[in-house]
Amino acid sequence: MTETQADPITLEIIQSSLQAISDEMFAALRKTAMSAIIYEVLDAGTAITDGGGNLASSGAGIPAFVGVLDKAVQRILEVNDDIRPGDVFATNDPFFGGVTHLNDVVLAMPVFAGDRLIAWTANIAHWNDVGGMVPGSISNEATEIFQEGLRLPAVKLIEEGEPIDSVMRIMQTNSRLPDFLQGDMWAGIAAVRVGERRILDLVAKYGVDTFAAALEHFMDYGEQVVLRALQELPKGRFELEEEQDSGAVYRVAVEISDDEFVVDLCDNPDQDTGPNNASRDGTMVAAQMVFMNLTDAHASANAGHFRRLKLVTRPGSVFDPEPPAAFATYYEVEIRLYDLIWRCLAPHVGGRLPAGHFASICGTFIGGPHPDTGRHFTIVEPQVGGWGASAGRDGNVAMFSGFHGDTYNCPAEVAEARYGLYVDRLALNDAPGGEGEHRGGNGIVLDYRVRADGCFFTCAYTRNRHRPWATEGGAEGAPNRAEVLRADGSVEEYAVVTALPVNRDDVIRIHTGGGGGYGDPRRRDPARVREDVRNGFVDAERAREIYGLE
Amino acid sequence: MPTTTIRAATDVGGTFTDLVLFSTDGETGEQTIVTAKSDTTPPNFEQGVLDVLAKGGVGVADIAFLAHGTTVVINALTERKGVKTALITTEGFRDSLEIARGNRPDYFNLHYEKPAPFVPRYLRREVPGRLTHDGRERQALDLSGLPAILDDFRADGVQAVAICLLHAYADPRHEQEVFARVCELWPEVSVVASHQITREWREYERTSTAVLSAYVQPVAERYLTRLAEGVRGDGFGGQLYVMQSNCGVDSIDHTREIPITMVESGPASGFWGAAELGRLIGEPNVLALDIGGTTAKCSLIEGGQVRIISDYWIERSRRSAGYPIMVPVVDLVEIGNGGGSIAWVDDFAKLHVGPQSAGAQPGPAAYGRGGTEATTTDANLALGRINRDYFVGGEVEADMAAVDAAHGRVAGRLGVDPVEAARGIVRIANNNMVNALKLVSLNRGYDPRDFTLVAFGGGGGMHAVALASELGMRRVVIPRAADVFSAWGMLMSDLRRDTFVTRLLGLDAEHAPQIDELLAEMTGAALAEYEREGIGADQVRFLRYGNLRYENQEHGVEVPLPEGPVDAQAVAASFHELYEREYTYRLDAPVEFVGAHLVAIAEVGKLEPAVLPRTGRDLEDARKGRRTVDYATEGGHEADVYDGDLLEPHMSFSGPAVVETKGTTVVVHPDNSVTVDDYGNLVIDLGEAGA
Repeated sequence: MTETQADPITLEIIQSSLQAISDEMFAALRKTAMSAIIYEVLDAGTAITDGGGNLASSGAGIPAFVGVLDKAVQRILEVNDDIRPGDVFATNDPFFGGVTHLNDVVLAMPVFAGDRLIAWTANIAHWNDVGGMVPGSISNEATEIFQEGLRLPAVKLIEEGEPIDSVMRIMQTNSRLPDFLQGDMWAGIAAVRVGERRILDLVAKYGVDTFAAALEHFMDYGEQVVLRALQELPKGRFELEEEQDSGAVYRVAVEISDDEFVVDLCDNPDQDTGPNNASRDGTMVAAQMVFMNLTDAHASANAGHFRRLKLVTRPGSVFDPEPPAAFATYYEVEIRLYDLIWRCLAPHVGGRLPAGHFASICGTFIGGPHPDTGRHFTIVEPQVGGWGASAGRDGNVAMFSGFHGDTYNCPAEVAEARYGLYVDRLALNDAPGGEGEHRGGNGIVLDYRVRADGCFFTCAYTRNRHRPWATEGGAEGAPNRAEVLRADGSVEEYAVVTALPVNRDDVIRIHTGGGGGYGDPRRRDPARVREDVRNGFVDAERAREIYGLE
Repeated sequence: MPTTTIRAATDVGGTFTDLVLFSTDGETGEQTIVTAKSDTTPPNFEQGVLDVLAKGGVGVADIAFLAHGTTVVINALTERKGVKTALITTEGFRDSLEIARGNRPDYFNLHYEKPAPFVPRYLRREVPGRLTHDGRERQALDLSGLPAILDDFRADGVQAVAICLLHAYADPRHEQEVFARVCELWPEVSVVASHQITREWREYERTSTAVLSAYVQPVAERYLTRLAEGVRGDGFGGQLYVMQSNCGVDSIDHTREIPITMVESGPASGFWGAAELGRLIGEPNVLALDIGGTTAKCSLIEGGQVRIISDYWIERSRRSAGYPIMVPVVDLVEIGNGGGSIAWVDDFAKLHVGPQSAGAQPGPAAYGRGGTEATTTDANLALGRINRDYFVGGEVEADMAAVDAAHGRVAGRLGVDPVEAARGIVRIANNNMVNALKLVSLNRGYDPRDFTLVAFGGGGGMHAVALASELGMRRVVIPRAADVFSAWGMLMSDLRRDTFVTRLLGLDAEHAPQIDELLAEMTGAALAEYEREGIGADQVRFLRYGNLRYENQEHGVEVPLPEGPVDAQAVAASFHELYEREYTYRLDAPVEFVGAHLVAIAEVGKLEPAVLPRTGRDLEDARKGRRTVDYATEGGHEADVYDGDLLEPHMSFSGPAVVETKGTTVVVHPDNSVTVDDYGNLVIDLGEAGA
């Protein structure tokens, strides 16, 4: 590195420019994507890595996608030996750096200065349908990855600027929604190309050595911030085991020292025969999220942040499965693990972590014929829910889970036009739960009224039997669940169901959970309790019984 | 008959009320400018306006055209000084306002605080009745519960009621019924329905818009009424216009109906000024940059047109989701980077500038009012870019000891010498602004090199050349009187109304007549409204845009619609072209029409700038001397210092130089060449080094 050229101000300018480029790529992706799950839910992320695939900066989106793209680039580098300027690679397979599940497609583009590979621009986005055994590709019934859609094992999609037609045709042919696939793919390609252009501008201005020095310096900075934070955390080994809704028991041990944060997941069940597995890379992402929450919560993460994070897993376990494991609902496994580590540490880290939240993606899939156009529609969406209370305040109501971030729900007005369903209601969920000196925030109740016969409903919610956890004597939050209110008046209840037939005038009612409470409810300020009663968050009887309001 | 025509702009800010007054001699066409400043006088703001007019030495009765800008709306919102507001909405949706969109921009922060709703849950009430997305009635409106709801509101001391019903953008009839009934049952209360402000979809955004509008309505109404009465009481008989966020002015009566449209009026007038200036001097493509005390704002002007959008949020940042207001607002990017922005060094020896500002109190260290932290202004002083002997036009003696001490602290933490620290502050501040300029240009598919940078505000001239050079731009224009440029923009404004309506239609020959019908409806409504105010159709001109996208996308691209019936094929062709420019690719997919944007403009006697007279003065007479100026990346140079007030058309000189007036400093870099144009603007051409 030629440190002489690289004064600290120049390095800082390059670093903030990289952040601006990641943001620009994200904006481009969001604006042009064809699928609501990308442009509304922002189930997408962008990143820049150095030439070796180390994360340099990441674009807004969801925290669960921040640590994904570096892993994908690293795998692309391993698998391919013919990498040229203008190429774009694609991977979606967790066994090939895809990290999550087959619906999430990573596109990555190498950036060359002359013949030197200096960086990668990359993005990941949820594509609506990549083939497989069910529409939308996500099935709770899958037992092998082969049933979950087309596997793209870190392959080249564009060569020196020219689309490889045969690969594109294979991709389109394998999707039930080829138009969406095409639109989402080109949105992703546009984004990585914008990033490449901007990086080349930076390199032209500052020189390739200074550029490389800036990346290195930025990662060192991330590491320093983390080391400082580690010094302030309590030291020792912390353990927790927790039964899941499925009956499986997950166990975690976290060891914190002055210079390391080790997450040990060896003692966990064998991999799932269904799709409830998280790849080792995905497991690492869950650990990285808690790690960022604790060490540098306002930052945009880079590889330096994670140098001090170690992960230990057992191959063949649910957190490090082997082929041909299925991954469709990887996200519920990953968020369970994230919540487990969070819960394990919460009592020990002095108010740094609030009580548990609804902690499920509450992934909801509804599809069928659009009653107005006759075309097939599919809703693929996570839900908002309540967040946990903390020592300082009540929990937030109705926000996306910790797995998501700058994610937007779909307006009822847009949903009614686009999907041909009626949204009869979108309200805060007033179910009991989350009581405390500080209350957990409320989840929601969302009613979808089906307008056409022959539709289906799929969901896989957790934190249903085992509810959102409380701290310091607060009460557990309300659970996540779904009801189907049939047109004939009968009511069915679900947490996990695949392709349930629903017909005209059936109502799918989604209840998302609330956050856990903090502290003894009797210590809650009576004025606040009266306000809760006035606002209908607590009824008079519970105000008396639980809060002791006279 | 007076031989001179006087046009005045008054601008009420948090601290000062400003006046800029142009008098145009009817015979010679010669124009003189008067500026004045007096204290803002809350809550009787009209007093400050009358004070500043008196200070400017003009009789209110002699003013022909009075434009007024005010921060009253944005201040009432951000300081939470509106009135107690209630909401009436569709059954099942009272919590929409609190659920919002569920996003958490600061996503690693588990202690994120969701913005609290402006209306608490007990004041959010529901009425049964549903429309479908295309405006058909699915369930009849039932207002039987309304009297009891209003009784509760009365008992709770509610002062304003917002109404927002589902799908009212498609058909406002249910909202109109609720509105009429509320007015009938409770005539005293201030009430606003969403369709009066916006006809676009997304219920949370529209509800928030109605609520925030209701929240400020009584405050703004009172303000405007008193302003009008105040100036009329003093004998004003001319036309009184209020600056809007869409770069136009509007009548005081129309503004009073929906005052929320003033929310971003401050920046809008400056950007309009830049567009008008561009037209005047033959530069239709302009990047406009306004650098003030606490923020820098920028906007892109293409072909003389500002870009007006309705996707506007207050208090939105990387740390907060903010609140949406769907009103026509000039598309701008604002960053916390102005003259008073504080430079600080974090725990890991990284230098940052802003967004915290030293504000008016204590202000930059140089003011000697107890400010100990280095600001951008202090760095500019230390580097000789600002004249330490002519600080704030000579009104303040720069406290250089405080400046040096402040830089010393920054330098110590960075481990460099104080000059390097000051250069670092300027470079970081410049980089922040470059990134903001990229957001409005490169990010949207525009190459800054195709644009001219027009920079104004107190700090515009100080940084403009460095920024332009960084972006490869070849020309910078610093307007005459750049420090009061916003007021100039106000006086250059037309009466302008922007309407956005969502109507989902295929863009094809079959649906083209429906698009024509929509445009005719919108045009008719705008004309009728103007007609009621005594403005005839012959005075009004229109700009029409379609919001288009590939089928199933969400975010549209705005495409100009030429006059005459819509030719679906031609419109689609321009969509593909604009889309490809912005996003680098095009698709062979059906195109959808999402809605229309209509601009109705009426000319109401705005200022016509006159050519500045020449005395034939020698350039040397305008030169005050020489001093060493540190150009940060380009190092120190001996620069000529010019008195900007003595420069006149056709003078030219080269950098390194500095041009000083009372309110601004223009830093001209080595290799730049400067000419003074006919209107007294400084046109700076960057040399090869800049390109």
